[in-house]
Amino acid sequence: MNRSTTHEVTRLLANWAKGNEQALGDLTPLVYRELRQLAASYLRRERQGHTLQPTALVHEAYVRLVDQKNPSWQNRSHFYGVAARLMRQILVDHARRKHAGKRAGEKVSLEEAVSFQKERNRDLLALDSGLNALEKLDQRKCKAVELRYFGGLSMEEIAQALDVSPITVRRDLRMAEAWLHREMQNV
Amino acid sequence: MTPERWAQIEELFHRAAECAPQHRTALLDQACSADPELRREVEALLSCQESAGDHLQSAVSVGLKAVGFPLVGETISHYHILDGLGGGGMGLVYRAEDLKLGRQVALKFLPEESAKDPVALGRFEREARSASAFEHPNICPVYEFGEHQGRPFLVMQLLEGQTLRELISAPGPGNPAMGIEKLLDFAIQITTGLDAAHQKGIIHRDIKPANIFVTRQGQAKILDFGLAKLFSVVSAIGEDSKPDHGDDAETEGTPSGTLPLTTPDPFLSRTGVAMGTAGYMSPEQARGEKLDARTDLFSLGLVLYEMATGQRAFKGDTGTRLHDAILKQLPTPTRQLNPNLPAKLEKIIHRALKKDREARYQTASEMRADLETLARNLETTLLGTRWRKMAAGVATLFVALAIFWFAKRQPPSPPSVPDLKLRQLTSNSSENRVTGGAISADGKYLAYAGIKGLFVKFIDTGEIRAIPEPAAFAGKNMDWQVMGWLADGIHFVANAHAVGKDEGSWIAETTSIWLGSVQDGPPKKLKDQGMAYSVSPDGLQIAFGTRNRGFAEGEIWLMGPDGEGAHKILEAEGDGSLTAFSWSPDGQRIMYIKVDALGEPTGVSRDLNGGPLTTIFPPAEMKELNEINWLPDGRLIYSVPESGAMGNTCNYWARRIDLRTGARLDTPRRLTNWSGFCLSSGSVSADGKRLAFLGWANHNNVYVADLEAGGSRIRNSRRLTLDESDNNPTAWTADSNAVIFFSKRNGSEGLYRQRLDEDSPHLITTASGSFSNAHITPDGKWVVWFIQPNASGPNPATQLMRAPITGGTLELIFVAPHEALLLCARAPSTLCAVGEWTEDRKEIIVTSFDPVKGRGRELLRFKGNPGSVYCDISPDGSRIAAVTGPEEPIQIFSLRGQLTQVIPAKELNPKSFLIWAADGEGMFVTHMVKGGSELVHMDLRGNTKALWKNDGGYYPWGLPSPDGRHLAIQGANQSGNMWMMENF
Repeated sequence: MNRSTTHEVTRLLANWAKGNEQALGDLTPLVYRELRQLAASYLRRERQGHTLQPTALVHEAYVRLVDQKNPSWQNRSHFYGVAARLMRQILVDHARRKHAGKRAGEKVSLEEAVSFQKERNRDLLALDSGLNALEKLDQRKCKAVELRYFGGLSMEEIAQALDVSPITVRRDLRMAEAWLHREMQNV
Repeated sequence: MTPERWAQIEELFHRAAECAPQHRTALLDQACSADPELRREVEALLSCQESAGDHLQSAVSVGLKAVGFPLVGETISHYHILDGLGGGGMGLVYRAEDLKLGRQVALKFLPEESAKDPVALGRFEREARSASAFEHPNICPVYEFGEHQGRPFLVMQLLEGQTLRELISAPGPGNPAMGIEKLLDFAIQITTGLDAAHQKGIIHRDIKPANIFVTRQGQAKILDFGLAKLFSVVSAIGEDSKPDHGDDAETEGTPSGTLPLTTPDPFLSRTGVAMGTAGYMSPEQARGEKLDARTDLFSLGLVLYEMATGQRAFKGDTGTRLHDAILKQLPTPTRQLNPNLPAKLEKIIHRALKKDREARYQTASEMRADLETLARNLETTLLGTRWRKMAAGVATLFVALAIFWFAKRQPPSPPSVPDLKLRQLTSNSSENRVTGGAISADGKYLAYAGIKGLFVKFIDTGEIRAIPEPAAFAGKNMDWQVMGWLADGIHFVANAHAVGKDEGSWIAETTSIWLGSVQDGPPKKLKDQGMAYSVSPDGLQIAFGTRNRGFAEGEIWLMGPDGEGAHKILEAEGDGSLTAFSWSPDGQRIMYIKVDALGEPTGVSRDLNGGPLTTIFPPAEMKELNEINWLPDGRLIYSVPESGAMGNTCNYWARRIDLRTGARLDTPRRLTNWSGFCLSSGSVSADGKRLAFLGWANHNNVYVADLEAGGSRIRNSRRLTLDESDNNPTAWTADSNAVIFFSKRNGSEGLYRQRLDEDSPHLITTASGSFSNAHITPDGKWVVWFIQPNASGPNPATQLMRAPITGGTLELIFVAPHEALLLCARAPSTLCAVGEWTEDRKEIIVTSFDPVKGRGRELLRFKGNPGSVYCDISPDGSRIAAVTGPEEPIQIFSLRGQLTQVIPAKELNPKSFLIWAADGEGMFVTHMVKGGSELVHMDLRGNTKALWKNDGGYYPWGLPSPDGRHLAIQGANQSGNMWMMENF
């Protein structure tokens, strides 16, 4: 990632913060591409036995994309909001393609029918549809889950990003996690 | 859902979650009295609250892994990709299943550029093939080459363990260097592998820690032979630019103490002269000269340097400076960095690091010889350290009971693997104990059999599913055995046979083969009159026996998973028989136990398609083993009961045997240090990572009860022996006041006497060897019994011994050639007799003897099946009752050899022990029933009354006191549960 992109992302974040919606539209593909590349390459560095969390990628994307000389809390908060949503989209798109590929395949062997990967893809897709449903019921909780699990923010950071108290975040997450877990089990 | 409803649910959910669990119900009762729907919602949420965060987290990280390893779940050629393992700059490495051979392999994708030079690719392919062709244990074999959408990939052996890079961990002053013993072990293995390759004219060109893999068993394997050369050509067209971020993490980068802990790029690519990784290049490589085998020795020198000191020999923060260092600098002497190193090792390393290749070791074998000499010299000084380490390892596992035995048998082998993981899969009580099971190929399921039927456990979630009994078995007592899993990972093969009454033990004639399923429904029958032994690794063939002959199967057959296409593949020779048939994990070889007419077992193996039969375990060794598990990495893991311990102690050992020649490739290595239970029914997941086994223990004790109603009822039974060792009653003293029993309570076998009013016994005598069949002579003076000094030897001669009942020296009466039976009547008769097998083991000859004068005259002969004859002499010494096989009637002979009475007693099949009642009007008979075995009193008309039951396979026998008032009973209590070990 070169300096001009960094500058650009920082500028777009600032503009978006000022209320320029077009800035968000311009920002999204940049962040998406960065995350997508990071996701694909990151695992090659993964050592056996380590479980990688997407949150690490979002942090890395932030460091790469946003000018660190002038860190502004507002930029950071906005960036994470976008990145967490995009990260979710990347993972879900991928899982959905895999899932569809399996379905479209002519014959699914018994081995595949119980394959671990497929089951786990299903978990992610179930989580995604759960989040969609949750968003309709309670948008803030959906956002909190996204920031937490796809963006890797701490409780305090989420509280600041959503402009509520950390206690509210904790309660939001508790309710949302239980509800989503149940949705996932019901799929 | 309306926002109001949502808020209502949330509010109550938080209140309930925050209040103490014991108050929750009351809270919900009160809050939801008029709204059951609300209660359901909140309760569902509460039940999902636990570990909800972990579930979300895991769904997300699995999704991410799928992005990084896009091929997971795909099938490429005949490889079904299971999982992503990691990767380097070259590309990703996947774990995959070879659908043709049913084994797991590693698929390593090469960069797309490599496809651009087909000549170089072809040469690499040839070279890697020839490096793999001779199957050296220190070289990771490449099985195949393939291409997927323009990207070439290699199919390699799947290894479990880590690279030396990870083992050395981040090099730097803060990190301790590797232990000297380990270092030498790996160094010798690597030089051995290099020597083999160099002799074939193959140079590695890129020896470095990341290219040396150490398996869990400590075997070093060199990876990627010849790969460097491929890239020296390919990457020459690259450019020397700073790679973009997508790749830089994968590049080894500048060698320094702060390297990232990543799987490094093996190649200094894009420099134009790339031939090996920068940090591990030889001077001639750095100069771009023509390479020979000695370049590998230089690189190995660098690897050893790092292992020994924790630091790299040459440092440089840019490629140029590093080149400079390699070409001109002398590395810091190793002992300045690690003063504990032997001087000799420093010499070896620095000789390997000579800039001038003429001054280096000229061959890998020369270097190995020096390493080996050093290792031998260190051996003596290190012994002390090793013993201390071993003691620590034992303590962390279980009890250090068997150390002396270990020391006696295997002095040079290292202690058990320190990070072996043990997991209990079932926790059933002894009334409901597990009798065996098998893990599925993917390691996800355990199918197991127990007293209450068949079950499947989902290992990762812990869920247990009971498999319903087939309708055909309604109202019957069935015993099950799980023998293996089919290819689909959903169906498993099980044997079933009815217990007691009219059907017998585990022999093919009375056993049927069934197919159980994880998913639903009762098992479906595949075959009547057959006993399955194993399922082939591809899960497509079931091996089974059809006809019992002598000790085991007369023939072994194969059939498909649907029960079709049965055909014979093995037939026993002569009077011999076959058992324990299994396949090697790659499906190429078979192994089974050949039993000769005398019952001597030999473990043998041969190629699936014929060829010579190789002896793997000769009878002397075979008899020491409980079971053999064949691992994908070539090891045989077997369980060995420990004779030195107090019983109930078995451990797993591993060794490598060349199955083609029978040659022993290493010394047996002890894997476990357990005591208190024995191991059997082992099965291994296809990747060789999980070994599930039955851990069982048996406690035998002497119980005493009062006999009533002519011996047909017992009352007031109590335990006489009050310890946890193995106690087996064998006789009463003539005065009916004390029981004689065997016990291993002091470690070796001993004969004890304990009065009914005492809490502890008196030792009569003790000796090494296996004791059996003690009786008191009719005059009450002597105890006579058998000792087999070498019970597992090729010819277990039996010594008939005597010792005074009051205790004292034991003396030999005479030696019986084979295992034998012992009988004594009661005064006023004076008769004692031995029953000895004829040489062909078809008949038993009963001969009288006197404890002092020795052998007397032949009384009678009768036919029988070895191993299943039980007989006893009537108290008055006039008749002998015998059961000559589990399904045979009870026969009563006069002492002149005439058969005077036959009692069919079919309801007591399968029968075992037979002991006359004190009044001579009946007998105490032992027979098998569901879940164990039972002791009954039978009168001479065949009427029976049940007295006692032992859970488990241990027969309770009943010994009446001479006065007929008491019965001494061998009461056993068996426990059994499935366990799983990993990291072995």
